[in-house]
Amino acid sequence: MKRKFSAAIAALFGAVMAMGATAQADQLAEIKQKGTLVVGVKTDYPPWGMRDANGNIVGMEPDMAADVAKRLGVKLELVPVVSSNRIQFLQQGKIDLMIATMSDTPERRKVVGIIDPVYYASGVALLANKAANIKSVEDLKGKPVCALQGAYYNNDMQSKYTQTDLVAFKGIPEAEQALLDGRCVGFIYDDVVLIWKKAQDPKFANFEVVPLPQWPVVPWGIAVKLEERDGPWGKFMAETITDWLKSGTLLELEKKWVGDNTAWLKEASEKAKGN
Amino acid sequence: MRAELIPAPAQGETGFTAAAFNRRAFACVIAAFLLVVVASEAVAQIRTTGGSQGIIDALIKWAPLILLGPPGEFGGFALNIAVSFLAMAIGTAAGLAVGLGQISLYPPVRAVSWAVTQFFRNSPWLVLLFFVMLLVPFQLKIGGISIPLPGWLKATFGLALPIMANMSEIVRGAVNSIPTSQWESAESLAFTRMQTLWRIILPQCVKRMIPPWMNWYAILTMTTPLISIVGVNDAMTLTQDALAAEQKTELLMPMYGMLLVFFFIYCYPIARWTIYLERKYAVKI
Amino acid sequence: MQRLTDRNHRPRLMEAFWDFLRSLNDAYGINLVQFYDDFERTRLLRGMWTTIKLAVICIGLSVIIGIIGAWLQGSRHRVLKAIVQGYIQFFRNTPPLVQMYFFYFALGPQMPRVVNEYGIAQPMLGSFEWAVISLSFFAGAFNVEIFRSGIEAVQKSTIEAAESLCFNRWQTYWYVILPLAVRFCLPALNNNLVNLAKTTTQAYAIAVPETLYVASQIWSDHINVFEMMITLLTFYLLLVGVIVWLMTRLERALAIPGFGR
Repeated sequence: MKRKFSAAIAALFGAVMAMGATAQADQLAEIKQKGTLVVGVKTDYPPWGMRDANGNIVGMEPDMAADVAKRLGVKLELVPVVSSNRIQFLQQGKIDLMIATMSDTPERRKVVGIIDPVYYASGVALLANKAANIKSVEDLKGKPVCALQGAYYNNDMQSKYTQTDLVAFKGIPEAEQALLDGRCVGFIYDDVVLIWKKAQDPKFANFEVVPLPQWPVVPWGIAVKLEERDGPWGKFMAETITDWLKSGTLLELEKKWVGDNTAWLKEASEKAKGN
Repeated sequence: MRAELIPAPAQGETGFTAAAFNRRAFACVIAAFLLVVVASEAVAQIRTTGGSQGIIDALIKWAPLILLGPPGEFGGFALNIAVSFLAMAIGTAAGLAVGLGQISLYPPVRAVSWAVTQFFRNSPWLVLLFFVMLLVPFQLKIGGISIPLPGWLKATFGLALPIMANMSEIVRGAVNSIPTSQWESAESLAFTRMQTLWRIILPQCVKRMIPPWMNWYAILTMTTPLISIVGVNDAMTLTQDALAAEQKTELLMPMYGMLLVFFFIYCYPIARWTIYLERKYAVKI
Repeated sequence: MQRLTDRNHRPRLMEAFWDFLRSLNDAYGINLVQFYDDFERTRLLRGMWTTIKLAVICIGLSVIIGIIGAWLQGSRHRVLKAIVQGYIQFFRNTPPLVQMYFFYFALGPQMPRVVNEYGIAQPMLGSFEWAVISLSFFAGAFNVEIFRSGIEAVQKSTIEAAESLCFNRWQTYWYVILPLAVRFCLPALNNNLVNLAKTTTQAYAIAVPETLYVASQIWSDHINVFEMMITLLTFYLLLVGVIVWLMTRLERALAIPGFGR
């Protein structure tokens, strides 16, 4: 759910906050000293970050956070964040680290310290009703497509491809319901989520995931405070992510939570090994 | 919605009184809901091959979450009620100020108050809600302290705006309904305008303002599910979460039906009481 | 000499105006993309047209529901009266948004399905139809009570006069009571219809492409929330203004000498 608007507002506030923030000395030492690592993760984006039946935060990203804490030898504290506040939480020092499905964009690189290498990526796809026989985006002309209000690809989808009003809802449950009720031929959303949904839920048996390469694959970045990016804390995280990619930790975690490995992650892991 | 302009129905003319009908209508609605539940239960029993829980069990299981929100968090129907109380308090206080502005002796104050009233009275609630949600920052910075403005608080402000405008009209109407002789008598007793307003006019207005004020409270309560659209964890949002978790089509009607009944049980007595007060305080001509 | 009605004249003028609006964005950051961009303008206008259609159809249906309901309330059947009363109290005392969800997401899928042109079995009645149904029933519940209060204001002697002229119950209602009652309840009806027009925005939640729906898409694409909000509010104030103006004209046209001030 990359919402352009909330991102822009976030970036705006981020810029204001960044100006007021003072450079801190060595956050890595500080975390070790206080003995707790505070990580901001999502709770509304299964299976990357969600709540289980007991209310605990679980998912692929919480597992990654736990691994960071293990490497540091400190306790882990997870703080739930949403797209509109995650950048501020990082800048205000409420969280030491952000692993929250955040897309890597040039605007965001100006306000938070996005660590290289990036750890994940997602593109856009359509969960299409098999009966409608949709093979590519060209088949969508004049047809109703379900979507989420505020998604960045909505405008392109409508103006270039469907040329009729999208059936957009505020949340995933409504869009899913409308798709299952047969009110649209497909649901356009982040491909990784759709692949996961299709794989874990038998009610989508009559649906297929159609990739939409018209929209680029956007990498997701882990972030620290901007001024920490080139400090010991940022370097430690960069090494950690590189190691995750080399050792296949991320592939394992993806297999565990999403059910299958994405082409992007396989390729990124191979590349990391090669270097 | 429930316009103040409707004259209280005269009793006896059509052979029944609204009060006598009151319980029967209530029973009618509850009976309709139970019918939906029983019918869905029957459908569920036929469709499932046993072993799965029934509709009534599901309703009982989810009702606490929808009423009170997730454990440790503030949400659900309780949040709807809390938002309605707070929005009503803010709206009433602001509405009183704007309403008195409408009868001010200074033309600029009068004009501005009138414009504010008309603007917020005639704009759709949902648009005003979006207006506040998107254009008010999520935290205020006063000096060095930043005060966070959570979503539900911003939504409360958004709902308080139309209440303010309608309260303003109620205040203006009530003040104008007090006979001019009251003002003149007060003046002859050397009361200042302020004193006349606060000690003579407004106390007389209170009785007239209570029924429309309660009416607007009921309307406000029924508008609170709109905050689910702007991302607040209210009863509506949680009902959808519960439905998403259960994944059963037979559950759709009973679950939304239950939410409707929650609101009905809360709002209906208020509506009846409003009508009772309207009659009691009605100006006899 | 070039005539003013030259076929190329108007489009060129409009283009110049759009260019002016575009320059506002470059110079001051006031982004009125909803006017100068053809795609955005078309869909916004389509959204406004949907809102107007929605409002007009719902106003019509809700008035019809009000007239029939008020007539049924005068009936002698106690059960019938209880059902009408139950309908009124239910719709008046529950949130219109939840009603709309109930209709679209709960009742909608239970409808018979038909295979549409894309090969999908789709339930009958789409989001627009359900919005019409739910909004009409919602406003209709208020209209029943409004008409009833109007009917009760009709003097008994008038009804007795009609009965003595051998009018039956329906004739008395249609020719004598209703024309008088409508006049008595016009101010309250006016209030309710304005409210109905404002409530059409809630159709946003079930993806009816009305004005608010389109506006929210435009502001999330172009991040011009403030400009869009002003456009949106202006549109609704105009819509409400037109309804009030029409109702005032109706009120004046129907005025009976000897009643009111």
